[in-house]
Amino acid sequence: MARSAASERGGPRERDASERDNSEHDASEHDASERDGSRRADPAESPPAALEIDGVSKRFGDGDESVLAVDDVTLTVDRGSVVGLLGPNGAGKTTLIKCALGIVLPDAGSVRVFGTDVGDGRRAAYADVDAMLEGARNDYWRLTVRENLRYFATISGVDPDSVASRHDRLLDRLDLADKADTPVRDLSRGMKQKVSLASVLAGGAELVFLDEPTLGLDVESARTLRAELRRLAAEEGLTIVVSSHDMTTIEAVCDRVVMMANGRIVADDTVEALLGGADRDVVRVASPDLDDAVVAGLRERFEVVGFDPDARPPAVEVVAGGDRLYDLTDALREAGVTPAAVRTLQPDLEDVFLDRTGTAPGGESR
Amino acid sequence: MSAAERGERDGERRRDGDHPAEDEPRPATYYHLARAVLYREYLIFVRYPANAIGGIVVSLFFFAALFFGGRLLAGQALTDSIEGIVVGYFLWTLSVGAYSSVSNDIGSEVQWGTLERHITTPFGFAPVALLKGVAKVVRTFLTSAVILAVMLLVTGTRLSLAPVTVVAVAGLAITSVLGLGFAAGGVTVLYKRIGNWLNLLQFGFVALISAPVFDLPWTRVLPLAHGSAMLQRAMVDGVRLWEFPLADLALLVAVAVGYLFGGYLVFHYATRRARRLGVLGDY
Repeated sequence: MARSAASERGGPRERDASERDNSEHDASEHDASERDGSRRADPAESPPAALEIDGVSKRFGDGDESVLAVDDVTLTVDRGSVVGLLGPNGAGKTTLIKCALGIVLPDAGSVRVFGTDVGDGRRAAYADVDAMLEGARNDYWRLTVRENLRYFATISGVDPDSVASRHDRLLDRLDLADKADTPVRDLSRGMKQKVSLASVLAGGAELVFLDEPTLGLDVESARTLRAELRRLAAEEGLTIVVSSHDMTTIEAVCDRVVMMANGRIVADDTVEALLGGADRDVVRVASPDLDDAVVAGLRERFEVVGFDPDARPPAVEVVAGGDRLYDLTDALREAGVTPAAVRTLQPDLEDVFLDRTGTAPGGESR
Repeated sequence: MSAAERGERDGERRRDGDHPAEDEPRPATYYHLARAVLYREYLIFVRYPANAIGGIVVSLFFFAALFFGGRLLAGQALTDSIEGIVVGYFLWTLSVGAYSSVSNDIGSEVQWGTLERHITTPFGFAPVALLKGVAKVVRTFLTSAVILAVMLLVTGTRLSLAPVTVVAVAGLAITSVLGLGFAAGGVTVLYKRIGNWLNLLQFGFVALISAPVFDLPWTRVLPLAHGSAMLQRAMVDGVRLWEFPLADLALLVAVAVGYLFGGYLVFHYATRRARRLGVLGDY
């Protein structure tokens, strides 16, 4: 019985404490070796990571028209962490997730889920894993919400009667309790998406892949789903891998971001570290007193990243983080510039992505 | 963590009320899996009866055209062979029901992304597919029984309807078709557009059902052919299951198991190839 394999590794209850320990490590201990994905959990010291992808490559097609969708990717996801896969369409995010799930067989490399090699015993490896894949229904629309939860709990290896109260909590939490006995086909798109998420969590999966979970949702539904994801991750101690080209989702939900472009990982760090390293502590000052001569003077002392003389009033963008802001105000006073508006320009993941790849995450990778 | 530590922590949780004792997940067995799959099929059958009723109406319409049209053209000749035609048509509706429901179902599961989810579960898709097959056969028997009853009333024909014999022989006969359904489903997973063309295969079942098994004994190893001949003897001549020669029964079982297994292998190979090519669920 496959479920017994999960129990041998330590079932859902047994793993809670170690997961939380690990999740705390995850956000704070990203050294250089971790960032390049070479971390390896030592089984003698700590339980294995939720997901270990080692040198996975996947090429589709043959000859000149072939596409290298995933190119020698190595990635470790610790238990209890929420990792975002960010990248443009065609960057290889979905293929990487499908490789991790065994839905796509990689050409090279290995995948370990909770320490079990997928190639050795796939079914045992996936006892505690489920996924919500992009563009698919993922559940049965002709069944009711609760029937879906019971069905998918069963095929995940859990007797649905034993988790009935968990299903009630899940429905409550996702605001679906009133619709529990409604066929999924009669629900709105946002609710269908939430049912899909609920059915993924119904069997007590501990490693959950969510591929573009907010795709096609309206602003309000997407916001609700993001909030639910954050809450579920915190309360249930889930390990979540979220793939998206939407930075708002990644930034709001994830504590670590893996950026992909052209099948490769181009950055892997915490959201804070990535934003901090974006080198974009930029202050935008607008004033009618700004002209070429003033800006030339500023350039001698500061890094000026932009000047718009045609703006009303003209505006200059200067790198002036921390104490340098005082220097900037002094310099402006000396030049006789009275600011009409001062604004800090917050870097976001899009800037970071642009810095690293030269491509916007919402665009096409190839 | 030791068992004692785990117990202590679970105890704390129960006291906290965060995770009540009754919420402890228990592993699902194949019994639970069978219950879940069959219950789902049952729900869809009773909740959306239009599909079943539509199938019955279309089948009866074709039979009426065949019967009344044939009587106009062939007169007494058709009336003399009407028993054989009713039995053959009954088996054909069973075969079409089993074949198309399995192959279409696989196509739908791929399209919905639910086949992928089954692949990443402890049970895999194999037992689910087989249980679905059983459910489809049961469902098809129910609808075909209605068709048979109406055919008997319309034509005034009398047939031997020993339930055990009819269900066993017809059931084993269409098990081979179930295998073809799995194979067709597998091919559809790989080559999406071919799926619709494979539906035409069901008209080939007419040839298999009326295969000349006495003149060409080798045709007995084809799907349906041997089973059809046995069903004719059972329903027209009143031969009971235990009155058939053991060799006939053995061949019936062998053909059923052989095609089912072969069909499943094709399905398994096709989904594996689809995973290699990255086209599983890629609609």
